[in-house]
Amino acid sequence: MHIPDGFLSPAICGLTYAISMAFLVWSWRKARVTYPRSLAPLLAVSSAFVFAAQMINFPIAYGTSGHLVGGTFLSILLGPYAAILSMTIVLMMQALFFADGGMLTFGANVFNMAVIGGLSFFLVRFLTKDPKRSDWFFSSVFVASWLSVVSGALACGLQIGFSPVFSDAGGIAVTVPAMLSWHVLIGLGEAAITTALISQLHRLQPAVLNGLAILRGETHEKIS
Amino acid sequence: MKRYLKPLILILVCLAVFIPFASNAPDGLERVAGTLGIEEHTPTWIGLMPDYTLPAIGNPYVSTLLAGTFGVFLVLGVAFILGMAITKLNE
Repeated sequence: MHIPDGFLSPAICGLTYAISMAFLVWSWRKARVTYPRSLAPLLAVSSAFVFAAQMINFPIAYGTSGHLVGGTFLSILLGPYAAILSMTIVLMMQALFFADGGMLTFGANVFNMAVIGGLSFFLVRFLTKDPKRSDWFFSSVFVASWLSVVSGALACGLQIGFSPVFSDAGGIAVTVPAMLSWHVLIGLGEAAITTALISQLHRLQPAVLNGLAILRGETHEKIS
Repeated sequence: MKRYLKPLILILVCLAVFIPFASNAPDGLERVAGTLGIEEHTPTWIGLMPDYTLPAIGNPYVSTLLAGTFGVFLVLGVAFILGMAITKLNE
């Protein structure tokens, strides 16, 4: 889902940069009144994990592959604000050193994966009717992680569809259905991996799930 | 801090194990662009390790594993600095 340079018009690049920047400032401010110092090493290791996981593409169907994005995973581990910042670091290093995702399209990639991924926390919270029951929680994680990939693909389909390179090929009427049809399937991989990882961490190391603690209202800091 | 050593080693071991099984097929977006006949331009910025390979190393497994290991430590370091910055006020 990493958009390379050359796919988006300057206007779309500028707009998505501005929107993502606003979310990053918001996340930064929220993070500074939310997290204890003990979050730093967890943030480092979970970001490193997401970087490694994104390197491993799994085959989907008909010669197409996908990989874990990890936005919902990070949001359950770190809470929404640190998740957005963590994913932004991963995307920045990928663009700077690995030519994965463009520099001009960086704002769009941050929006599609970091912002949407981090905000999926609020969907998990909304869907988890009873936070004490882990079956509610795991089902919500499954749905939210699937939807985070599908929403990211929708945003990506709109961004490329409104850009001239793709408008000759039919614009959003073509790009949005095409992006959605693949990512409905890729999202199932995301949901399966995310739910498996979170349920294992919940069983083995429940204390690291800061996002879950925030979701349950177990932290003394107020999260809105 | 020490309790994060095990997960870090696990990440690197998983990377080494899973790299040979990773699919080289185009991802969703690349597939859509390919179907619509849109070529990816030569990027304006190539980076040191394009497509997670070290151009100087011939063996693709070693090349990707080294690039990945470098990336894991790079992200680890930068994210840790970020973590220290955003948690500064709390203690």
